[in-house]
Amino acid sequence: MHIEVEETAVGPVRLFRINTGSCNGCDVELAVTSAVTEFDVEQLGCRYTESAHEADIVLITGPLTIRARDEVLRLYAQAPRDKVTVAVGVCPVSGGVFRDSYAVDGPIERHLPVDVNIPGCPPRPQALLAGIGAALEIRRARRDGEEPARNPDHRKHHGTDNFPARGRMSYDAKACVDCRMCRHVCAAGAIRFEAGDGGVRLTLWHNSCVFCGLCSHYCPTGALSVTGDWRLDHRAADAFTQIERGEVPYAPCTGCGEAIIPTAPQLLHAAFRRPNPEIEKLKNLCPACRQLMSIGVPRR
Amino acid sequence: MTDLTTNVAAALAMAAGEEINVLWRRDRKGVLTGWCRLPCGEALLPAARAVAELEGRLAMVTPYLPERAKEKGEREIAYHFDLDGATLTLTVVLPLEWARVPSLTPIFRNCDWQERELMELYDVQVVGHPDPRRLFLDHTLPHAPFERLVPYSTFTNAATGKALWDKVLAGEREDA
Amino acid sequence: MTTKIIELGAHQLALEEPMYFRVKLEGDRVADLDVLPGQVHRGMEHLVMRRNLYQNITLLERLCSLCSNSHPSTFCAAVEEVAGIAIPERAEYLRAVADEIKRIASHLFCCAVQANAIGETPLFRRIMEVREIMQRAKEAIYGNRMDLAANVIGGVRYDLTPEAAAYLAGAMEEMKRPLDELYLQFGNNPALMARMAWVGVLPREAAVECAVVGPVARACGIDYDVRKKSPYGAYDRLKFEVPSQTAGDVRARNLVRLAEARQSVSLIEQCLAQLPAGPLCADNLPEIPAGEAIAKSEAPRGELMYYLRTDGSDFPVRLKWRVPSYMNWDALKVMLKGEPVGNIPLIVNSIDPCIACTDR
Ligand code: SF4
Ligand code: SF4
Repeated sequence: MHIEVEETAVGPVRLFRINTGSCNGCDVELAVTSAVTEFDVEQLGCRYTESAHEADIVLITGPLTIRARDEVLRLYAQAPRDKVTVAVGVCPVSGGVFRDSYAVDGPIERHLPVDVNIPGCPPRPQALLAGIGAALEIRRARRDGEEPARNPDHRKHHGTDNFPARGRMSYDAKACVDCRMCRHVCAAGAIRFEAGDGGVRLTLWHNSCVFCGLCSHYCPTGALSVTGDWRLDHRAADAFTQIERGEVPYAPCTGCGEAIIPTAPQLLHAAFRRPNPEIEKLKNLCPACRQLMSIGVPRR
Repeated sequence: MTDLTTNVAAALAMAAGEEINVLWRRDRKGVLTGWCRLPCGEALLPAARAVAELEGRLAMVTPYLPERAKEKGEREIAYHFDLDGATLTLTVVLPLEWARVPSLTPIFRNCDWQERELMELYDVQVVGHPDPRRLFLDHTLPHAPFERLVPYSTFTNAATGKALWDKVLAGEREDA
Repeated sequence: MTTKIIELGAHQLALEEPMYFRVKLEGDRVADLDVLPGQVHRGMEHLVMRRNLYQNITLLERLCSLCSNSHPSTFCAAVEEVAGIAIPERAEYLRAVADEIKRIASHLFCCAVQANAIGETPLFRRIMEVREIMQRAKEAIYGNRMDLAANVIGGVRYDLTPEAAAYLAGAMEEMKRPLDELYLQFGNNPALMARMAWVGVLPREAAVECAVVGPVARACGIDYDVRKKSPYGAYDRLKFEVPSQTAGDVRARNLVRLAEARQSVSLIEQCLAQLPAGPLCADNLPEIPAGEAIAKSEAPRGELMYYLRTDGSDFPVRLKWRVPSYMNWDALKVMLKGEPVGNIPLIVNSIDPCIACTDR
């Protein structure tokens, strides 16, 4: 009981926003969390402040432009030492689509310590509230001198939402044909392919991804798909392990034995509608042997 | 073809003192775009005045390094004007080195920022601009970043992406 | 009278985005103004030349979140013009739907921010709540409340199922009354009149000289709308008028916006009623030859123009665009002249300035 009294006595937790040169998507959504009752940060006992000196939690948006940097760092330095810092959207963490521009000086972690990341581009207000909630948890733990409780994994419980928001990408290696179209169309450089000994490995980094779904649109087999999983906030220390990964194993060509990426059944279905056993044989042949088979070399 | 195309042809011919070819394209919806390459840099100012006479509005200025700019030693600037829905593009060809164009700001007030931007992003001198300060570029950035498209790897910090990905790939190995 | 120069930042200007003004004051009135942009300069015109045409669809959508659909749709139109692609009719309508949805949300945000700038907090919250109807619709149909991911080269990559269309029609129905009410309120409410009428006036001649575009121009009696002047997409088959005003003040600009938002509701309804069946995209991976093209559209803030130059590869040789906000900053010098300092935030927000767009 007395804990509650203590909480109200110290007043609301104050949030301070810093825009480091964003597209304004994250900022407009943050504005919603101070204007729209359903998403108001008041429900978390928070309130926005216009003064950096009062900041308990600093919310940072944008990829950090060179032009904005000095002012950003000045404001950040004005905030009290025990503030909790939240990176809103993927921009501050990885630069998002703006990474590697001559005018951008991110990621923000090069300049100041971040506690919580809220992936999204922009994150929906529900995700912003969840991330701010995580920051409150850290703040509470620090005050009490405890280890902050590890971020519980809420993802499963939040899947059943009214609307299918465009969330985390999911990758099905079994359907992948290694055409790399996804990497080609990804504006955010969020997809990597690496050739290993046993196969080809795809890694998709959720902190770089801008959740546009273009990779899945151009994927010929549906190996990449958009999930409704938008609850992606995490401790900044875990930034680099927020990935989706899969490996397409090499298999020996049934014709000559060379290591190849077998054709996924999804592709055969897309090309032939209903592949017959003859066509099915194609999938385990290397291109050379495939040609041999289709130009009418005596069947075995 | 229409009054507009005849008027533009006449006005440009008057301004340049010679016939100037404008190629007009009409798209599926009937919208006209006219493309005109000016014979020389000096032709820009009179041509721009002629467009102003026709109540043209300056819509955009596009400086660029065309294909094989280095080989040909040339660069181009396209000035796009709105003529009540039709778009007329006047293109001037300039030398790659020591390029100079006259400022159109005295004729079109809204050319001011377009030219300031052109001056900071490219190595082009705009003669007679009333306020040639930098506009968007931070003062710590080198002049004319758009001249350095090739090779861009030394200039842009492609290193950021690499450093981040190294951590992503390493992070996973630690976990495994 | 004492002359002094003050510098104002985003906070004093009541802007969501970083921007600086250097203002020359005579007494407590504005005499002159220097706009100092660049804080949000992300070198995007440089980045687009290092990304292929497909990547640029997503990159350009992140130019600015308030007019985010206008950029990929106009960029794709430029690519399609170079490649000689006629997009399917259904795609034309679906692009219009996406653009008009964004227009309503953008105009409402602008009006809300102005209400906030003059301390009308309940009105600010009310407009933001109304805007939520659009936000919910965007998320339901496109999966994101800001960036719709609706466009691809050759058409669109979303469809309206009968259920989604019915949902959207319901949302449009829900918008009508609040939009009509807001129009009356911004038009006649004495408290708003006192702050917005005859404030920040831009006379028609000055508007022509500054070459302003969009609602800022239409509030001065310049009835220029790209959807009418250079029809594109489905607009040649849709019925609409171009709302305009003549006073050229803050109130007039907002009335134009609210009338346009109401018109957008009707445009979306027409699209839903006429939506032809057929494919969504002409050709998923078309050849893009060498060439150059101009594409224009009416973004929420006015005329948007793209120039694309290609060389047969899928990287652009040059991709240049000019956003409507870019044209409107200069007019602030006229609008603010002689105004008291206290009116600066309202007048600045009345041009609905987008800094992310301006700085690129
Ligand atoms: S994360 Fe996305 S929405 Fe947020 S500022 Fe960056 S580009 Fe804009
Ligand atoms: S959704 Fe796909 S294409 Fe879009 S940013 Fe993420 S990984 Fe890249």
